[in-house]
Amino acid sequence: MSGKTVLYVEDNEYNLKMVRQLLAHTSYRLIEATDGEMGVVTALKEMPDLILMDIQLPKLSGLDATRRLRADPQTADVPIIVITSFALSGDDQKAKDAGASAYLSKPYSPRELLQMIRKLAPEN
Amino acid sequence: MSKREVTFLDVTLAPSPTPTGWAEKLARFLLSRSPLGKLVRWVAAIKASVHAKLLAGFMFVTLLFIGMGVMSLQTITKMSDQAQLLDEAHERVHSSQEIQHALALQMNFTAMALLLKDETTVENILRENNRFSNTLARLEKAAQPEEVELIQRIRAAQGEALTTVADIANLVRDRKIDDAMRLQLTKEYPLYQQIEGLVNQLVQREREKMDRLRASVAAANRNTLILMAGSAAALILLASLLGFVISWSFILPVQQAHGFLSEVAKGNFAATINVPNRDEFGALADRMNHMSQELHDLYESQRRGSEELRRLNDRLQQASKAKSDFLANMSHELRTPMNAILGFVEMVLDGIYGEVPPDLKEPLTDIQTNGKHLLRLINDVLDLSKIEAGRMDLVLAEYSVQDIVETVRASLQSLALEKGLELVAAAQDDIPVALGDGKRITQCLMNLVGNALKFSKRGSVAVWVERQGDDLLYRVSDTGIGIPQHELENIFTEFQQVDTAITREFSGTGLGLNITKKFVEMHGGRIWVESELGKGSTFFFSIPLRVNHGGAT
Repeated sequence: MSGKTVLYVEDNEYNLKMVRQLLAHTSYRLIEATDGEMGVVTALKEMPDLILMDIQLPKLSGLDATRRLRADPQTADVPIIVITSFALSGDDQKAKDAGASAYLSKPYSPRELLQMIRKLAPEN
Repeated sequence: MSKREVTFLDVTLAPSPTPTGWAEKLARFLLSRSPLGKLVRWVAAIKASVHAKLLAGFMFVTLLFIGMGVMSLQTITKMSDQAQLLDEAHERVHSSQEIQHALALQMNFTAMALLLKDETTVENILRENNRFSNTLARLEKAAQPEEVELIQRIRAAQGEALTTVADIANLVRDRKIDDAMRLQLTKEYPLYQQIEGLVNQLVQREREKMDRLRASVAAANRNTLILMAGSAAALILLASLLGFVISWSFILPVQQAHGFLSEVAKGNFAATINVPNRDEFGALADRMNHMSQELHDLYESQRRGSEELRRLNDRLQQASKAKSDFLANMSHELRTPMNAILGFVEMVLDGIYGEVPPDLKEPLTDIQTNGKHLLRLINDVLDLSKIEAGRMDLVLAEYSVQDIVETVRASLQSLALEKGLELVAAAQDDIPVALGDGKRITQCLMNLVGNALKFSKRGSVAVWVERQGDDLLYRVSDTGIGIPQHELENIFTEFQQVDTAITREFSGTGLGLNITKKFVEMHGGRIWVESELGKGSTFFFSIPLRVNHGGAT
């Protein structure tokens, strides 16, 4: 069976590892990128079904990477969950403005993250 | 600040306090283009009081007038003397004419005596002769030497004529009329003709003398008139000059002072006033310069002080901003590992890694609880640092008060149940959808209700929201430990809990109330508390109700 592909763009290896282990028990296949530019390149190359985008990333911020992906016709419709860290004044609005399908503030509950992934890209 | 010296006679720098008329323009022209300026300066520099200078000026003018009066008096005396002289001359002319007349009568009477052959007529001749002699004597008394000679000649001729008349009279008495006539024709007549010629000469002379005198009097009068007019004109000119010089020696320093004070009023404390006056005005200028210096020193020290303050303030602001930035970054950096800690614990407890051994469940839950508390701390610190850095912006949107109350109730219901407390939360039905930062207001209410639950061991916590005029009043009352009266005012400052023992017992960040207060104030509202120790507290906050009139429901 071919599961859906989820791209997680995040520079903290423990958070990557956590999501990797969270999705290990599901049908989702996880691909990873550790900075914004690499995230955009990987997304265009792999065409994932969903993208998890951290807001603070090296080289290119999560918001800028989201904007670029939204500007490209190939990835314009891919669901993107932006993970904000300030979750306070206006970060959610900024994420929405950049083109995020949903946002989640850090620290997020793995349970909630999985629910959100399942809602935006249901398992086969 | 420009260093400007306001100098005497510097007409351009010392603007006239009154609108400049032609007279003032003329005065300024005279001051700058004629030696009058120097004179004014000289008068100003005289070391004497204004009173003395004015007195001297008036005295001088008064003396000039007295002098003029004396001169007039002299002229009048002189003119009356001359009039007398003229009178005398007139008299003499009259006298000489009288002589002429008497002579004519003498000749006439002689002729009559011959004609009438009458002796009595001779008496008439003698009478006229006497009159002639008297008048001649009168003339001789005040006669000039050349006239005296003439008069003596007349008198000699008259004497001879009288002798001849006597002879003729004798001849007439002796009836020798022919002899008498002959004598009259040959001797008396030529004699009288001679006398007449001499008398005419005398008359002529007296007349000429009178004419000369009259001409000289006229000339003298003309000269006197010119002299008087000239003196009067000179006097007026001198008085005006004196008035001009003295008044300008006072006006100029006053105008200087005006210009100087204008400069000072404009904030140019470096301005100085420089007048040559050594009177009260000079003293005044000295005081003004002193004042300017004092003001300048004061201004300088104040300016240095405020500059120092501004530098200090800048440094403080930079430090404050650096602190806030640091806190914000720290909070973010703390969140990333917190995410992993809380995430992994949750996954372990959710059984993703297999069933959790029962004796590990409690320590894992403890890790989760403390992790969440740490997270709250981080959130509060982040909020506070953002508020203090002035970077906390409210996100204005429509919100429902009922929703907020319900969110808070739902979030904290389980905590209340855990502690065996009753949580009642409700809001007035007819509150419209309001405009504001719903998330922040929820946070405020959550903080207050959280505290109420935290500090109550039994009883209940009640939440009620109602509309009061143009405000929304939120009320959270508990049956907790209460707050001592003296702590009530400190309760909203950061890191304040009633005492440290309580802090240990009721774990909290100590930032919640402070943050709540700031959010309430950012909404234009206020927060306060009423409390009785041991019986419970009631927290209130009111926020102006804003409704989006253009909007939907």
